[in-house]
Amino acid sequence: MEKKIFCVVPAFNEEKNISRVIKIVKPLVDQVVVVDDCSRDKTYALAAAEGVVVLRHIINRGQGAALQTGNDYAIKMGADIIVHFDADGQFSADEIGDLVNPIVNGEFDVVFGSRFLGKKSDMPWMKEKFIMPIARLVNAILLDVRITDPQAGFRALSRKAAMSFRIMNDGHAHCSEIMHKTIKNRLKFREVPITVTYHHFGQTVFSGKGRRSGGLTIIKDLLLAKFID
Amino acid sequence: MLQQIIALAIVGYFLTRLFKQKNKKQISGGEFVFWFLFWLLLGVMVIGLKLIDRLVFNLGFSASGINVLLYLGVAALFYFFFKIRLRQEKIERDITEVVRELAIAKKEK
Repeated sequence: MEKKIFCVVPAFNEEKNISRVIKIVKPLVDQVVVVDDCSRDKTYALAAAEGVVVLRHIINRGQGAALQTGNDYAIKMGADIIVHFDADGQFSADEIGDLVNPIVNGEFDVVFGSRFLGKKSDMPWMKEKFIMPIARLVNAILLDVRITDPQAGFRALSRKAAMSFRIMNDGHAHCSEIMHKTIKNRLKFREVPITVTYHHFGQTVFSGKGRRSGGLTIIKDLLLAKFID
Repeated sequence: MLQQIIALAIVGYFLTRLFKQKNKKQISGGEFVFWFLFWLLLGVMVIGLKLIDRLVFNLGFSASGINVLLYLGVAALFYFFFKIRLRQEKIERDITEVVRELAIAKKEK
């Protein structure tokens, strides 16, 4: 039986990239679900013009929140596999198959893209040599997560995986949270190499695009979540 | 002595306020009990400051009782701040759930 693949694209002020991203992703999946996280630009209108499903947050809630909204919608609409794909156009859509196939074959429940498994990404030096090792350390200490790419947003989840947990971190701490919950829920997972083309630096220690991003905020959110969850 | 009288006057003022708030039903029963015990304890501590001085000295600390009270006050403030932060975070999550429901419900119409 054919698996129904949904691609969830969280978007915040991405009018420059959203149309292009939808155009390249749309032919590769059954349904694209853009979650516009209360953008102030034309993201919503441009995405809607591409003929895909566009959900709109009336208040900006962050990337993690947008992904869970997309997950909820996809599950409701009968998705078998959910792919998370950033709206900034830094991921390669032709690698969606690499993430989806292990789930289609029934071998794994979750597949994480990794920028550190052979394929060469033009990652900024500061990010590769300084921020990522710290992020790996934080994941290992706080969450007992030991995965090569601590902050990869490109991933695929089986329906079973997406239903087994909810993303509670509204901001960018969702990456670590998803890895942690994958391990905690004993879901079968693997990492596959991906390529990322950097158009901008992305998250730094102190700031990043969108609500509750930036390295220190992520650490703070992970710590807070420990007292709430 | 004068400082103790001023401190007790402040405690008395807040206790009066507390009872007024309770009568006007501006606070819940649980909140009233908490703050009543809080101000009562503070009043007792102010009255028994000499005793606290002796206790602190016997425990081997060089600071006076009033200093210890201040340190405990700062620690309590940190604790309350943390509790408020956790509550705020839970409210944030509830807001996200509402925003999410709205986004999906609007699409399903």
